[in-house]
Amino acid sequence: MKIKRTLRGVAFIAGLMILLAVSSYLLVPRNNTAAAGMEATSANGILGEKENSIDILVLGDSESYFSISPLQLWKEKGYTAYVCGTAGQHLTYSNTMLHRAFQKQKPKIVILETLAIYRKMSLSNVGLAEIARYFPVFQYHNRWKSYDLKGFKNGVKYNWAEDYKGYFYSDQVTPAQNLEYMTPTEESAKIAKTNRYFIQKIKDFCDENGAELILLSTPSTQNWNYKSHNGIAILASELSCEYIDLNLMNDTVGINWSLDTRDSGDHLNYSGANKVTHYLAEYLSGRGILSDHRGDKNYAHWDECLEKLNAKAKGTSN
Amino acid sequence: MPSIPSYFSVQFLAILLPVTVTTYAFLPQKPRRIVLLLASYAFFWAVSGKLLVYLLLSTLSIHHFGLWLADNQNRCDQALEQAQKENRKGIKVLYQRQQRGIIAFAVILHIGVLAVLKYSAFFATNLNVGFNLLKLPATVAIPSFVLPIGISFYTMQALSYVLDVYHRKISADRNLFRLALYMSFFPQIMEGPICRYTETAEQLWSVPPIEYRNLTFGLQRILFGILKKMVVADRLNLLISNVFNSYQDYDGFVIAVAAVCYTIQLYMDFSGTMDVALGIGQIFGVSLTENFQRPFFSKTIPEFWKRWHITLGAWFRDYIFYPISLSKPMKYLSSKARKRLGHNFGALPASAIALFYVWLCNGLWHGAGWHFIFFGMYHFALILSGNIAEPFAANIAHKLHISREHPLYHGFQIVRTAALVCIGEMFFRANGLRTGLAMLKKIFTDFTFNTIVEKTFFSFGADLYDYIIVAIVLAVVFFIELCQEKGVSIRERISTKPVAKRFAVYYALIMAIVIFGAYGDNYVPVDPIYASF
Repeated sequence: MKIKRTLRGVAFIAGLMILLAVSSYLLVPRNNTAAAGMEATSANGILGEKENSIDILVLGDSESYFSISPLQLWKEKGYTAYVCGTAGQHLTYSNTMLHRAFQKQKPKIVILETLAIYRKMSLSNVGLAEIARYFPVFQYHNRWKSYDLKGFKNGVKYNWAEDYKGYFYSDQVTPAQNLEYMTPTEESAKIAKTNRYFIQKIKDFCDENGAELILLSTPSTQNWNYKSHNGIAILASELSCEYIDLNLMNDTVGINWSLDTRDSGDHLNYSGANKVTHYLAEYLSGRGILSDHRGDKNYAHWDECLEKLNAKAKGTSN
Repeated sequence: MPSIPSYFSVQFLAILLPVTVTTYAFLPQKPRRIVLLLASYAFFWAVSGKLLVYLLLSTLSIHHFGLWLADNQNRCDQALEQAQKENRKGIKVLYQRQQRGIIAFAVILHIGVLAVLKYSAFFATNLNVGFNLLKLPATVAIPSFVLPIGISFYTMQALSYVLDVYHRKISADRNLFRLALYMSFFPQIMEGPICRYTETAEQLWSVPPIEYRNLTFGLQRILFGILKKMVVADRLNLLISNVFNSYQDYDGFVIAVAAVCYTIQLYMDFSGTMDVALGIGQIFGVSLTENFQRPFFSKTIPEFWKRWHITLGAWFRDYIFYPISLSKPMKYLSSKARKRLGHNFGALPASAIALFYVWLCNGLWHGAGWHFIFFGMYHFALILSGNIAEPFAANIAHKLHISREHPLYHGFQIVRTAALVCIGEMFFRANGLRTGLAMLKKIFTDFTFNTIVEKTFFSFGADLYDYIIVAIVLAVVFFIELCQEKGVSIRERISTKPVAKRFAVYYALIMAIVIFGAYGDNYVPVDPIYASF
């Protein structure tokens, strides 16, 4: 009787797994567009990029997609980068994006914008995000409302690519007030245990896949301070990875807080992003691990995208 | 997913519950008690952290008071045995006085802690308003405390235990761990049910092995509870929070719909949580007291309160209503009133006074706010007026040849009761008494159906599909409750079906929650409503 019941229990769980897998397959977006139900389309545009064409993957929250412009990096050094940053990104989603990106790409560098490391995560959301990685129905369950049978017949094809490679263009200028935001202190901000666990997972994944993890704090007078810097510096030494805090390097980066921020020091604008990206281009060039793809036919569309961004910056395109 | 690790959180459903059930299942009897106690404290810690100390102190305190009372009772009994007949009355009075002193100390201590933590800010605010009105140059600082989760629930359990020992209904428990488990059992600590010592302490302590039937029945009930909470209650929150937070922007029709939706949300949320609590209890072989018995089939308000939050009503009945209405002054009042008002209405004044305190406490128990007091007084007025009007209503119905047993009349009574409940719940949910009154006024003075044309109901982040899903699940709940009302147990029926059909029911429930549950990107997590009381 006991064996029978145990077998019944196993059969029940197996049946449930199959049901979750089938429903996941049915509800997962057929394409990586908003119309197909994909979330954070700009970040997920990486799924539509040519296989093995991305050198640098950027993860993080809005600081990442306002501060790093992959097309500027392309223009200066011919490196291909993609920003998988999303608004208020939690490390669970950074981890999800990392795994998604590596399905088709083999970037040599993974940059994580550090503000996401301090973003609190509820255990419930962490659990849900982890389950959703195996059974996407937990993430896309609401898609039953807009289910399209036609799309189902065509299967899953992620072929939409984003022109600015995850970068959010903004030419707004609202000067920052708080310019003395990096007052030195011995204190260091604490990183929550759950966040620490996920950052370790991200680091381990990068190591296993031959990518170097770099922690990067982009300039922000509203979101960064010395205490946060100290916390990440300790973390970086524990993880044995590179840490660059551009908030302490303004002599080199040259952010002008009257002109280079779109919202009083919260995020950078186009001009600020170009300065950060220029620094990054020089830094990566100095490392000598990436190659210049300019002139390579396989990367021709990067020039087209750059032209579009230039046109946008000149105000000749929407 | 809710922001606190409630019974609907991933960490509870995927970690704490399975780990506790599995560990419990593989251990012999005695260590199972430790597993339940540790799981209960772990859950409380996860929700309230260091505030666990309140629960521990409360447990220690009732253990001590129980033993103190029992000790005093024993000494009284011994003294009475040894005393001569003429001295017995004096000894009785002496010990009774001591008993009263001990119980008063216990009650004041527990109510005092609750009052300070939960009500001191409310009283201080009103005191300042009073000073202001009287133009006195004084202000009281408004204190701010973090409430331990479930304090209103476990305080009631603690008080019922010491009061029952005082009244010699039960013997004081010398076993601190049994009492600790009675106080803290994790499925009920957050929202009840408020169980009595006689109902659960022994059951919990007996820690029977997990039986297949209990496991499957318990799991079914848990799934049903999650379905009610996550598919209906949390989905309706989009409409409710929008309308209640800015009622000024909506007409009377939208406000009325929101009031009805809130009543549904509250029922689905609270009864869903109770289904989870009772389902978990059943897995461990513990029958927790039912807190709901299909309240929306009630024909009158008193009947509604016998079916809604039953354990709270029973607590107020046993520890407030009866002690007041059976007290000497009330008995005297009743006998006087009978002479003046006749047999029909003679008992009314005494019961009205007792009822008043019951509903004042009921309102205050739910929260520190005038709208909660109004909620209590509203139900007090409805019940009292119903009692007064009943003979007249019966007379009128008789003269008009209306059969009060006709199904149509019953239907009318059910709808009327539900409507009255919805009005009360609107005040309950409103952000203050003035807001509640303004919303009620809008229902009667600004009632139009324009919002249907303007599709207002689709502007809250919920679309037609959301409302369709809510309607389907409500229809399922209604069907199940209708069967229960007719004495049919759906779970018993399911258990007689072949295994494939039983699996199909489980799968349908699980997939309905996974696919139609209001969680994830488009929904704001909703904490269980009663957890905040």
